[in-house]
Amino acid sequence: MLEQAVIYTFVALVLIGGGLAAFSRQILYAIIGLGISLLGLAGLFLNLGSPFVAAMQVLIYIGGITVAIVFAMMLSIAMSIRPPNPDARKLGFAIACAVIFFGAVAHLIRGAQFQQIASPASEKAWSVGALGHALLTHYNVVFEALSLVLLLAIIGAILIARKA
Amino acid sequence: MTLEAYLLVGAALFSLGLIGALSHRNLIALLIGIELMMNAASLNLMAFNRFVVTDPTTGQIFVLIIIGLAAAEVAIFLSIILRIYRAYHDIDAEKLTKLSG
Repeated sequence: MLEQAVIYTFVALVLIGGGLAAFSRQILYAIIGLGISLLGLAGLFLNLGSPFVAAMQVLIYIGGITVAIVFAMMLSIAMSIRPPNPDARKLGFAIACAVIFFGAVAHLIRGAQFQQIASPASEKAWSVGALGHALLTHYNVVFEALSLVLLLAIIGAILIARKA
Repeated sequence: MTLEAYLLVGAALFSLGLIGALSHRNLIALLIGIELMMNAASLNLMAFNRFVVTDPTTGQIFVLIIIGLAAAEVAIFLSIILRIYRAYHDIDAEKLTKLSG
């Protein structure tokens, strides 16, 4: 019972934060909404059995990406800038697209037959040790490629953003 | 919660991200919408990983790679925003029309 309440709290955090991020005209509130949504998502990951991914979500997404976006906002637009007037036609178009998308996906999910496993895999298969082992053996190439991509992204970001 | 409930939450989050990405003209707001959509995909992967896949490392590694790629993407995107701001003194997507005929 308590567990259910906690899960639904996380779902509410995800959706409320997402709504704040999607509909807010003030960019700072949108970023805060993004942070709330990501925090709720980390809780859902925890509930889905993966504390490591939840921790990475909090560390990288909330601690890194959200803060980087706040920095970029402060460096680019003055805090006092007046947000542009809401464009009702554009917002209506966006909401129509999103409703159509959600309806289609919900219809698909209703109709789909998933081959669900009877019970979750063993505790050992979910451990961080198993994750690290897979990352350094079977998924080694992906791991290395990702490090290369991150390195190139850092160098590229510095090159693009530096003063000419 | 069942698999279907998680998938519905993911679809709702993706729809919110779609609204954010389509309705705003501010480049940072566009980025926030894109981030929401990526996270909806992560949630779907984690839900399938828990309920459908027999080897639970696969989905977790997928999500870790998504997080890493999102970090790289945000770094590039934000530096481009700073560059655009320095050139145009604005980050309104509809005012960036220098290349239009």
